Amino acid sequence: MKNLKVLVLLALAFTLAFSVVACQPAVEEPAIEEALVEEPVAEESVAEEPVAEEPVAEEPAEEEVAEEPATEEVTVTVWSWRTEDEDAYNEIFDVYEAAHPGVTVEFVPFVATDYNNILATGLTGEGGPDVAQLRAYGGIQPLIEAGQLLPLDGEIESLANFPAGLLKGATALSDGRIYGVPFGVQAFTAFYNVAIFEELGLEEPATWNEFIAVLDALQAADYIAISAPAKDTWMLPLIHDAVAAPRYGSTEFEAEILSGETDFNDPDYVASLGVIQDLQPYFPEDVVGIDYNSSKTLFLTEQAGIFIGGSFEVGFWRNEGPDLNLGVFRIPAPPESITDSVVPGWMDGSFGVNALSDSPDAAKELVNWMGTPEFGQMFTEKIKQLSAIPGMVPTDPLLVEFAELFAETPASYLTLVNFRYGDPSGSTLLGEGIQSMFLGNATPDSVAASMQEGVSQWFTPGE
Amino acid sequence: MTENSEAKKKPRRKANVGVGQSAPPWPTIIAFLLPAFVLYAVFMVWPLIQSMYFSMYEFKGLSREGFVGLDNFKELFTRYPLNEQLPRAFMHNIAFFVGTMAIQNTMGLLFALLLYGSRKGKRFFQTVYTTPYLISALVVGYLWSLMLNPLFGPVNQILKAIGLDALAHPWLGDPATALPAIILVNAWQWMGFPMLLFAAGLANISEEIREAARMDGATRWQLFRKIELPLLTPVIGIVTVLTFIGNFNAFGIVWSLGGVDGGPAGSTDVLGLVFYRTAFRGGIDAFGLASALAVLMFFFIFGISTIALKKFRKVEDQLT
Repeated sequence: MKNLKVLVLLALAFTLAFSVVACQPAVEEPAIEEALVEEPVAEESVAEEPVAEEPVAEEPAEEEVAEEPATEEVTVTVWSWRTEDEDAYNEIFDVYEAAHPGVTVEFVPFVATDYNNILATGLTGEGGPDVAQLRAYGGIQPLIEAGQLLPLDGEIESLANFPAGLLKGATALSDGRIYGVPFGVQAFTAFYNVAIFEELGLEEPATWNEFIAVLDALQAADYIAISAPAKDTWMLPLIHDAVAAPRYGSTEFEAEILSGETDFNDPDYVASLGVIQDLQPYFPEDVVGIDYNSSKTLFLTEQAGIFIGGSFEVGFWRNEGPDLNLGVFRIPAPPESITDSVVPGWMDGSFGVNALSDSPDAAKELVNWMGTPEFGQMFTEKIKQLSAIPGMVPTDPLLVEFAELFAETPASYLTLVNFRYGDPSGSTLLGEGIQSMFLGNATPDSVAASMQEGVSQWFTPGE
Repeated sequence: MTENSEAKKKPRRKANVGVGQSAPPWPTIIAFLLPAFVLYAVFMVWPLIQSMYFSMYEFKGLSREGFVGLDNFKELFTRYPLNEQLPRAFMHNIAFFVGTMAIQNTMGLLFALLLYGSRKGKRFFQTVYTTPYLISALVVGYLWSLMLNPLFGPVNQILKAIGLDALAHPWLGDPATALPAIILVNAWQWMGFPMLLFAAGLANISEEIREAARMDGATRWQLFRKIELPLLTPVIGIVTVLTFIGNFNAFGIVWSLGGVDGGPAGSTDVLGLVFYRTAFRGGIDAFGLASALAVLMFFFIFGISTIALKKFRKVEDQLT
């Protein structure tokens, strides 16, 4: 019986302790939520309140202590989805720390696939970052709508270094303000295996007929002409734009569809989907069973002559196939194209400031620096990607080629730049549509119709 | 048989209190139940109530806007392509459940019977069959996606090596074979679980009953069909309900083999994936919409499980 009493007491004590612990965040949470909705003004006033209300006798002493050191120690935490770039970012931030005594920049990367959720949660309360790497275009909007980021236009001088088109990727749909400093751009077209091309006496194609002749020659020599994945649907809109953007009219079509002059049922857009369908015989057999990694492996192991991909893959080829001799060419415009051939691309993302940051000034100073050529040059050299700041010169010759091709014939990656602001996104509908087309379950007409039906639920032309 | 069960029934109902003992006082009962109840309430009931609440609000990112009543539910069935994906995913869940019952649980029962009769290697095989379910569904999915890879996977390479080229197939790349392949991989992983439950059920059946049946000249099949199978009804009930709950909540294995879109061409899409896409890849109003879907899924799974358990209990009562 005694034992029973002890047990009962223990159980009660545990329950009480647990209830206290469990209830704590529940009480605090609504306050945070409200602060988020109402923007950071509330936060700042809370921070300053004690100065006005506390007894005068105690206050000055505290302030003196706080202001005494000439350089205040500040740690700025930066969250990112680039685990592979941790060392490079640390080297870059070492340079910043050396120039800013007292400031420590802590780079914390998370797994890319979980990053959006981790960041959305991290920005709601304590323990979040001061500076966050942000997705572009549609990806940044939920964080802005939730009031989790500070607007930066008018505050960050270095934003002037970027072309207006690129800043669109960090601009809010709701208030038109800019919430991030862009760090990189990505462009995409065709990689090719120089050794295979030399072996078969092939040259970079300049016209569509030459392109098809190259594909035929590769196939005749038992190579896979184009290594493409159709199991991972996210790559399919990219391949479509790389090959067929000129057919639908690229930037001209972009302007027309955004203004409402046309829609996805446009015969030229439908014909551009037909271009991809016609290329299917040049993709690996059972292409719908081949995932992204397998398609890269086919190219890496020199079983395929061409890989349609982006500047973001250069690092992978260099690491995994250091002996691979690679080149890049602009895919020629298909017959009946509305525009000349293009190299499409997009602003890859930006760095923004958490609305709940404890050190917003230090965070703003850091993102301002990330918009300067000093950061841009280090970014492209160390992270081996294209900087969003014009004029930065990569060290890798492949990236130099990408930068040149993109600068000569730039275009927007249509679905990513313009049709990822709502659900269902244009990219998802297009990817699934092309996959169905490869399986024989859809036609260019039905894919275009599905895109139009899906996107028109949230997209209003001219807005 | 009936007399026996009548006699058994009464003490079974009162078995909660030991002979000569009175029930503990209420405060004691409450004290013991409270910790579990608090844990359950905070981590289960509260989020559930919250998601019901959220499902009736419009969201912009994580910020809650106005009350919209049942609009989120309506949106689930009217927004393209959700209105097509939801019924398709639901049908795939049913196919997943039926396939799992037919393959995984039948094989589980078969192996339980085989192991029950064997003396040598019982432990060994029990361990071998149950090992896969100790591995995460994502790891299993990843390993099998490598095995079934149409270019580099050993499954097709073995088929080709032994002259069965015609059977070499992009298993996960063909809408006709992708879902069956996932059902088989899932069955491979989980077969050990029903096997253990059935084995425990078989061990629970009194040897005297079997002996009596054998004395009456029952064959092995008759023994199974007339004695063992009916007496396994409680276990079959539990296995069925657990399979139902598991299959309708399936996510990891389908995600790792069919991708987030349940490819190819949505042929492996299930409700778990639709929920994930709505919640984490949806538009700005994703939170309310995903909450509505979560609420629907909960009520469906909870409702059917409760009904099924009641039905099985009735059958069980009739048998005993």
